Amino acid sequence: MCVFIEICALVNSMLVFLLLRNPPAETLTVFRFTGNLSVTFRIDGMGSLFAGMAAFLWPLALLYSFEYMKHEQNEKSFFLFYVITYGITLGIALAENILTMYFFFEMLSMVTLPLIMHSRTREAILASRSYLYYMLGGAAFAFIGMIFILTYGTTSSFVMGGVLDPGKIGDKTNLLLFIYVLCFCGFSVKTAMFPFSSWLPKAGVAPTPVTALLHAVAVVNTGAFAAMRVTYFSFGTELLRGTWAQNVVMTLVIITIVYGCSRALKETHIKRRLAWSTVGNLSYILFGVVLMTPLGLAGGMAHMLFHSFMKICSFFCAGAVIYQTGRNYVHELNGFGWKMPKVFVCFTVTAFALTGVPGLCGFVSKWNLCKAAVASENPLAYAGVAALMISALLTAIYMLTIVVRAFFPGRDFDCETISDVRDPNWLMILPLVVFVIVMFCFGLHSGPVIRFLQGN
Amino acid sequence: MDFVQNFPFMSIILSLFSGPLSSILSGKWAKRVNTAVIVIIGIMSACVLGYVTGTGEEFIYYMGHFPAPWGNEIRVGELEAFMALFFCAIMLLSMLGGTKERLTQIEDSKQNLYYIMVNLLLCSLLALIYTNDLFTAYVFVEINTISACGLIMIRQNGRTFEAAIRYMIMSLLGSGLLLLGICFLYSVTGHLLMSNIQQQVQLLAASGEYHIPLLVALGLMSVGLAIKSALYPFHSWLPDAYGYSTVSSAAILSSLVSKGYIFLLIKIFYRVIGFEIVCDSKVIHVLYVFGIMGMIMGSVNAIQENNIRRMIAFSSVAQIGYIYMGLGLGTEAGVVASVYHVLSHAATKSLLFVAASGLTDASGGKVRFEDLQGAGYRHRLAGIAFTVGSLSMVGLPMFSGFISKLLFSQEAVGHNHKMLPTLIALAVSTVLNAVYFMKTVITIYMPAPKDTEADRQGRNIAMAEQPGKSVALICFIILNLMLGLSSEPIIHLIQNGLEMFY
Amino acid sequence: MDIWMMLSVALPSAAGIILLAVSFLEHVRGKEKVSVKGLYVYTAAALILSVALALYTAWSGERSLTLFTLLDQIPVFFRIDDLGRMFVTIVGIAWLLTGVYSFVYMKREGGEKRFFGLYLLLFGVLTGLAFSGNLITMYLFYEMMTLVSMPMVLHNGSREAVMASLKYLFYSLCGAYGGLFGIVFLYRYCDSLTFRPGGTLNMAVVQGHEGILLAAVFVMILGFGAKAGMFPLHSWLPTAHPVAPSPASALLSGTIVKFGVLAMIRTVYYIVGPAFVRDTWVQHTWMTLTLLTVFMGSMLAYREPVLKKRLAYSTVSQVSYILFGLSLLTPDAMTGALLHTAVHAFVKCGLFLTAGVFLHRFGYTRVDQLTGMGKKVPGILWCYTIFALALIGIPPTGGFLSKWYLAEGALSSGIPVFSWLGPVALLVSALLTAGYLLPVTIKGFFPGEEAVSLDLSKEEPSPCMLIPLVILAALALFLGILPNPLIRYVGEIAGAVLS
Repeated sequence: MCVFIEICALVNSMLVFLLLRNPPAETLTVFRFTGNLSVTFRIDGMGSLFAGMAAFLWPLALLYSFEYMKHEQNEKSFFLFYVITYGITLGIALAENILTMYFFFEMLSMVTLPLIMHSRTREAILASRSYLYYMLGGAAFAFIGMIFILTYGTTSSFVMGGVLDPGKIGDKTNLLLFIYVLCFCGFSVKTAMFPFSSWLPKAGVAPTPVTALLHAVAVVNTGAFAAMRVTYFSFGTELLRGTWAQNVVMTLVIITIVYGCSRALKETHIKRRLAWSTVGNLSYILFGVVLMTPLGLAGGMAHMLFHSFMKICSFFCAGAVIYQTGRNYVHELNGFGWKMPKVFVCFTVTAFALTGVPGLCGFVSKWNLCKAAVASENPLAYAGVAALMISALLTAIYMLTIVVRAFFPGRDFDCETISDVRDPNWLMILPLVVFVIVMFCFGLHSGPVIRFLQGN
Repeated sequence: MDFVQNFPFMSIILSLFSGPLSSILSGKWAKRVNTAVIVIIGIMSACVLGYVTGTGEEFIYYMGHFPAPWGNEIRVGELEAFMALFFCAIMLLSMLGGTKERLTQIEDSKQNLYYIMVNLLLCSLLALIYTNDLFTAYVFVEINTISACGLIMIRQNGRTFEAAIRYMIMSLLGSGLLLLGICFLYSVTGHLLMSNIQQQVQLLAASGEYHIPLLVALGLMSVGLAIKSALYPFHSWLPDAYGYSTVSSAAILSSLVSKGYIFLLIKIFYRVIGFEIVCDSKVIHVLYVFGIMGMIMGSVNAIQENNIRRMIAFSSVAQIGYIYMGLGLGTEAGVVASVYHVLSHAATKSLLFVAASGLTDASGGKVRFEDLQGAGYRHRLAGIAFTVGSLSMVGLPMFSGFISKLLFSQEAVGHNHKMLPTLIALAVSTVLNAVYFMKTVITIYMPAPKDTEADRQGRNIAMAEQPGKSVALICFIILNLMLGLSSEPIIHLIQNGLEMFY
Repeated sequence: MDIWMMLSVALPSAAGIILLAVSFLEHVRGKEKVSVKGLYVYTAAALILSVALALYTAWSGERSLTLFTLLDQIPVFFRIDDLGRMFVTIVGIAWLLTGVYSFVYMKREGGEKRFFGLYLLLFGVLTGLAFSGNLITMYLFYEMMTLVSMPMVLHNGSREAVMASLKYLFYSLCGAYGGLFGIVFLYRYCDSLTFRPGGTLNMAVVQGHEGILLAAVFVMILGFGAKAGMFPLHSWLPTAHPVAPSPASALLSGTIVKFGVLAMIRTVYYIVGPAFVRDTWVQHTWMTLTLLTVFMGSMLAYREPVLKKRLAYSTVSQVSYILFGLSLLTPDAMTGALLHTAVHAFVKCGLFLTAGVFLHRFGYTRVDQLTGMGKKVPGILWCYTIFALALIGIPPTGGFLSKWYLAEGALSSGIPVFSWLGPVALLVSALLTAGYLLPVTIKGFFPGEEAVSLDLSKEEPSPCMLIPLVILAALALFLGILPNPLIRYVGEIAGAVLS
């Protein structure tokens, strides 16, 4: 079964990459709901980046989960939904119009639900419930935004610069801004923006491959991706820049950046700590989005890409620890660095990358975000830069304490207590190593990616 | 005159007479007759629909060829024919889905009684749909009430008696108000035929005379029908009636009976008073406000429920709120959305009732949530069906609920004052819907802990064990997907139908 | 493309990484080989080669190298200029001498492989930092420096050391992010981030944004000040130094804090330009902070009983002398600051190494335990005395000269209040310095009544420990007696940036 799934995923990824290399110019309409509302696909720069990312990560994550899922039950249903999610993520990436995106957006919430409640424990059920409430609630508000786009826009397709028809707007600008705020918040529920962030740490009860790939990468990034689409391609930055709406969303985003990191600092459960860290980092992306400049978009996209690698890698490390030893809390990790050297070396690199050490990819995206923020000459954006710096420091604290604990347990630590701890087998290590290499590559040679993003 | 034009009248008569016929038959045969009647009427309605769509205009059928005001008229447009067809389909599936329950929950001696009621109900519904005469409408409203009471009461336990009496009282109050409204209109205009009244009302409205009596008449009729279709503050009869009656009854009551009244109200708006006049009056604002309140409060009540049947019943309150909210927008497109929601809700709600009964079957007949744990695994089809129904209620794309939500909000966006409240109410109500429906879905897919009540009572039910229910559920799911995926022709049809109302 | 220039960075880094990897693998496998001799030979060879190479590269003229592009148009760019050359020389000397010392010292601490691995790696990083030609490259090596020096602090692995190292790490990172915050703004308002004496600010773009830019510069000063132990981010020093092995504290105090100074010079004099900062609230606040730190550091050192902590507070105070000199923005003051950088580097390095001797030989940490040391280890205590005098600023040591220039710069700067407040603070602080350093000498040579109960037999340490101290002491004296080449050299630097 494993081989079959892996081959499927690989072939699919190949196809995606092939498609991205030779992007067809025309759009593909699958079917129509009503009138001009249809499910349509198209490949553009942003979408291809997201699709490429998903296509790259999925086979690796699958490899990891084959090993990981051995100690969970119901592997079949797990892989069923895991693979479906792949398709739906691609659907979001390649959506041509807002309806298609919304359609897949909702589907994604539904399909990932069984993955969260996979273990069927009371905790998992509660988590999946709150996950669902948040998701559907968010979608309900995003829906309002979509309706407005459909009504006030010239077309439902995504067009860089927005599709709103000035003639139709008339004196309703303020209303439209209000709707934008609603819509943005609605989509950002998926990226766990404050005050809608509490679902993400709770969803950490899912098996680690899910937390890693979905709740650090695919699902949450679709939220950010959707926010980008509505901001840049539907509402248009012309209308939004410099308005109170921008200030409102930016304030929320900045609060989230600091809030997420602070909560991560307080948390002692590894996966939940990483989840809170995700909350903070996703808001970096959103920060890029709400700058409402092309540079900001590029920065946000870059962070989306880089953060995916960093966070999936750190989650996989955490998962490897849980899989091998069943330990869940940070204070149980004393001395693990020497017993699971491969995992923890990877984790250390990831920690540095997340912190934003130059030479690793986290620095590049942070730099681009800050640069864009300064260039936007918005006083609030300056505050955002400060928030990014504070968050970087907090990130250093909560990540590096783990590293130090793992490698320097203290002189009086008795190594015998963890003598049975081992590195996992190659299925788990290979993805980690690949991610670390990717982090270095992007960190040292980010030019092409950034140029590609700015070319959008 | 084409032969097809006789079909509406024939279908009314057919169902009317099959009622008394059932009384002399045994339960089994009554059931067969009933099924046959529904199927035949369904086919006839389809023919009518085809005919009307073909000619592109409605036709008027004079009973006994007496023209008004002496004769009784039937007026058939696309929408009417489609509604008849749709109602037949839903009724057939609902009956199919509740076959087993009817056998066990209804005394043997009263089996055929049930089918009498169903036949009469169908007859009254068809009459409400087709008739062009207000008084005829009133008569059938009463028949409808009585047969509906029978449907509730036929499963004999204390709760249903109480529920039936409540329903009876509230319904009679509603019909009383309706009757008063009709009297007012009659005294002002001197007519009972809808088209005639409309002409008079137009004249009166143009001259500005009898403004208040007209308003009162409109108000009385609206409120009367609103009570009967359980609009929010008048919904107290509904949860018990739907929650404790047998499945088929609950499904039919929730998806057809209340919708029949709503259809009648729409007809009154268009045919009797004239839509412009209705829109100018304050009545629609009242309906709008009550609709919004219903959307929210129905869901809030549903969240507090611990009984799956009652929860679905309360959800009906919310959904009827949607429909009235659509009417209350006071635009053509709003009405289109409402009619679409009538369809989508009818298809979904009966699906949910049938699926819920499947789930309770798999849990030893218990309806409380803690007993339903893991029911989705024990009765797979019911679990899937319930999930589909829930997703549709929450308004997920692909399912029917999404389209009506889309139509409502698209219409609301164009509105000046009602836009924001509508949109926000829609969003909030979606969230609330999600809360209770998805909670239930998660519950039924959560394996029951070992050695609990739910674990011991539960038994696995295969699809083949309840063929009727399985077929019904599958058809419902397909219907739901159809409404969700290829909504365009249906919306066209509704628009054309409403055009013909003028 | 002068790729050979990179060799001076790459060689020690590679040597260090190899050593670290070996140590890591051995630790993972659980069997640590104690092949001390081979290790020493390897380290010594690598160290000598690296230092020689670094010095050669530094003094072989103006060279520059663009390695690759890290971010948009910003390459990793190296260029050797006068300032970098000076810092590399200081670091090279300190490294060589401390290296010799630690061969003996580290036997007691254990974990030599890791220590020397980091030691070499850190040298490579510092060389890179000194050679950095633009702000981003500097930032890159600045972060590296923090990350590499942090494991040195927690070397002995005790809970206390781990906590201290984390404190050091977070203070440093906090400072680094403050720096990055400013860099982001400078990127927008500067022509380029490549260092140029006098600054690269693009005044046309700055127009109208002076406020935010000044704030950014101030944040940078605060940020880099963290490394240099400037108030309010100074408190990592007294925590980190006592727990680190003495050679590590010597390097931290002697050289690494200086790189905070370097970063500040690069920012203020080579990117922003002194003209932009002069007479703004930034300059005034900066001066206030440095004077506050000077005074506060001395006071805290004065009442501190633990020797290494006392020295750490002394570093806080002394490095702020340098910073005060920089904040005056006059050529004289800057000359003084650079002189003091050199002097303090050698002196503080020496002081920590002497403290290490006391610790290593006798296990003494507190000042009151040092009574009678003059009889036990006279050579060491003589060195200590010379360092103390140099730090206080008594002629003919180097300290006198640098303080003279600092005071002169302050008096001639013409800034109201500060022009006289600065020298006063320096003077008071010098008195306090005498107060906290000299008791050791006095009690050491003249134990008085208490000496009766002490065992005062002579126990000179091994020459490996003594010789580096003697050389350092000689350097401290030499800088005071024959200061002219150095004064001319730093005078040129100051002249170039402040012309």
